[in-house]
Amino acid sequence: MKSEVMVGNKAVAYAVKLARANLIAAYPITPQTTIVEYLSEFVASGELPAEFVTVEGEITAQLVCLSGSIAGARAFTATSGEGLLYMSHALHHTARYWAPVVMAVANRSVRTMQPDHTDLLAQRETGWIQLYCENNQEVLDTGIMAYKIAEDDRVRLPVAFALDGYVLSFTAEPVSIPEQEKVDGFLKPFKSKYPVLPETWDAELEEYKKHWQQGKGINEPFTPFAGDENFSHLTMVSWGKGHDLQWRWRAHQEAMMRAKKVIKEVDEEYGRLFGRSYGGLLEEYRCEDAEAVIVVMGTLASTSRVAVDNLRKQGKRVGLVKLKSYRPFPSEEMQDIAKRVKAIGVIDRNISLGEGGIVYGSIRSALYDQVEKPKVLGYYAGLAGREVRVRDIENATEKTLKAIGSGVMDSTATWIGG
Amino acid sequence: MIEIRFHGRGGQGAVTAVKILASAIHLEGKFTQAIPMYGTERRGAPVVAFCRIDDKRIRERDLVHEPDIVVVLDPLLNRSVDVTEGLKAGGLVIVNYPGNIKDTGLAGNFKVAAVDATKIALDVIGRPITNTAILGAFAKVTGLVKLESLAEAVNGELPSRIIASNVETMKRAYEATTAPANASGFRKTDVVKRASTQPLISYSRVVSDWRISHPVIDKNACVGCKRCWVYCPETAISLVDGKAEINYDYCKGCGICNEECLVGAIKMEREEV
Repeated sequence: MKSEVMVGNKAVAYAVKLARANLIAAYPITPQTTIVEYLSEFVASGELPAEFVTVEGEITAQLVCLSGSIAGARAFTATSGEGLLYMSHALHHTARYWAPVVMAVANRSVRTMQPDHTDLLAQRETGWIQLYCENNQEVLDTGIMAYKIAEDDRVRLPVAFALDGYVLSFTAEPVSIPEQEKVDGFLKPFKSKYPVLPETWDAELEEYKKHWQQGKGINEPFTPFAGDENFSHLTMVSWGKGHDLQWRWRAHQEAMMRAKKVIKEVDEEYGRLFGRSYGGLLEEYRCEDAEAVIVVMGTLASTSRVAVDNLRKQGKRVGLVKLKSYRPFPSEEMQDIAKRVKAIGVIDRNISLGEGGIVYGSIRSALYDQVEKPKVLGYYAGLAGREVRVRDIENATEKTLKAIGSGVMDSTATWIGG
Repeated sequence: MIEIRFHGRGGQGAVTAVKILASAIHLEGKFTQAIPMYGTERRGAPVVAFCRIDDKRIRERDLVHEPDIVVVLDPLLNRSVDVTEGLKAGGLVIVNYPGNIKDTGLAGNFKVAAVDATKIALDVIGRPITNTAILGAFAKVTGLVKLESLAEAVNGELPSRIIASNVETMKRAYEATTAPANASGFRKTDVVKRASTQPLISYSRVVSDWRISHPVIDKNACVGCKRCWVYCPETAISLVDGKAEINYDYCKGCGICNEECLVGAIKMEREEV
C-alpha cells in the first residue's frame, strides 16, 4: 500500500478520486479551497474522469450536485464556515430529494477563519448525515465510506464528513492510500435508482394522474414505484404539485434512523477489507473499567487519547468516547456507556448560544430515560480555533472524575482556556 | 518524540520546509507531522511552522511549545522574535547567519549551528529563499534525516524546474555547515517586539528590519514613470522632483520595484548584518 505525507485536504481529494466521483462543483473558501484545487488537478490530468463545474457560489455548487445526483452522477462538493451557511437552504433540498451527495466540510468558525464545529452543527436539521474525523487517514477512509453509506438503498441520504480546518486541512502527516481495485470492490458504481430523466418524465406524470384518480389527496404518500414504500420517490413532478408534507419528514426521519445500522455495517466492512475501522457511530478508547469518560468530536479526540493515556499512567480510571457520527446521533450507544460509567464529561467545540454545548445537550437528552444516570459535565474548548493542549483535556477529565459522588449536579459548563 | 519549530519570514518557505522535512523523514519509515501556522501573513512578516518526528503515529494536535530543535531561516529575525522561547535545556538552534557563530545574538543553555543560507540560496537559486539550504544544514547537524531523503522529498513539493537548483542548495549548505557550538557564553541580542513584527496592514508600520536586501535608485537613470510607485506593496516610494525616492522605514526589501523598473534604475543591495 502506498503511503504519502499529505495534508487533510489532499486526503479528501484522494478519497473522492478513489470513490470515482464524476461530478464536482464547489466554490472557494479557506480552509476548504485546496480540496477542489487538488481535485481540479486530478480532473485536468485525466486521472479522475469527472465533470468539474465551476460555479458562482455555494448554493449553486450544492444545486449542481443535487441535480446531477438525481440524474445519476456520483457528486461531490466541499465548503467551510460561511460558505456552508450560504449553502444551507440547498442542503435541505438535497436531503429531501434523496440525493446521495457527499460533501467535505473543512470546519471553519463563522467568526474567524480558524476551526470550530458550529458551522456544520448549525446544519444538523438539514437531513444530512454528519461524520467527524480526527486525523488525515480517517479523513481519506471516511470520504470513501461516505459514498457507500449515502448510496445504500436503506439510506439514500447525503453525507457530510468534517475535518477541522487548519488542524487537519493544512497539517501534513503520513496517509496510506488504498489500491483503486480494492476500493472498486468495496464501492460499486453509483446507479440512481430512479433517475430523473426526460424519458421517464411522462411515465411519472401518468402515475401522478392515477394517484389523484384513485381519490388520494396531497396528504397521501405518492409512491409511483411499487414495493418501495420507504421512499416516497420525489421528482420534479410531485414536488411541483405541492407534494411535500409531513409524511415526507417522517420517511426521512425513518431513513436517518436506519442509517445508524448502515454506518456500522459499512465501517465493519471497510475494516475487514482495509484494516482500519472507526467504531461505527462512535469509538470507545480505554473505556473498559473506566469510571469517567470524556466525549469529544474531531481532532480533539486525537489530543484526548494522549491525555487519557497520561491519566491512566497515574492510575486514574478514565476513557475517551470519540463521537464519529453526530447525525444520526448514537443515543443507544451513549445509553450503554452511561450504564457503565459514573461520570461523563462532554467537551464541545461548538456552542448553541442561549442553551450551551450542542453535543452536551444531545447526550443529556439521550440519557433522560435512564433510571440510574451518571453525572454529565459540560466543557467548551477550541472555539474559533483556540488551541487545545493536552493538559487542558487532562484537567477537564480529572474534573469529571472528581465529580463522582459529589452531591448535586451542576449543569453549568466550564470554559477551557477562557 | 522530537519536536521542531521553524521561524522564518513570509516568502522564505518555512511552511514548505516542514513539509519537505516531514516527507523525507517518512521516506525513512518514521511518523511525522508538519504543521503550518497560517494567519494573515504576508511577504516578510515573521511566520512559524512545526514538525514532529516519532516512531509511532503522532496524536498530539496542539502546537509545539517546548521544541527540541529551533530552525531560523532569517539572520535578523531574532532581533524582533524570541526564537528560543520554550527551547528545551541543552537543545539545538540552527540559524541562517553569515558571520561568526558567536555573533548570532543567540545565547543560553543550548547549542547553535549556523550557515549562510541566504548567500547559498542567492548563488544557486538566485533568490533569497532559504528553506532548502537550511534543511541541508539540518540534515548535517542533527543526523535525523539523510540528505538523499530530503532530495527525494523535494520532488513532491516543488515545481520541477527548480528542483535541481534546490537540491544543489541543500548539498552546498550541508557541506558548509560546521559542528554546533555551545551558546552559553555568547552575547544575547535584546529582543525588541515591535508593532512591525505583527502581520497586520503595512501602512504606517515600520518594516525596515524585514529586509535582507534593499533597493537603491539611480537618480540619473530614473525617468519618473511612477511604475515602481504603482507596484510598491508598502507604499514606501514617492516621487520627489520627478524621481523615485524610497522611504526605507517602510521598505521591506521585497524587490518588486527592481523587477518592475523598465529602465534598470533600481538595484538591490544585500543588507549588512
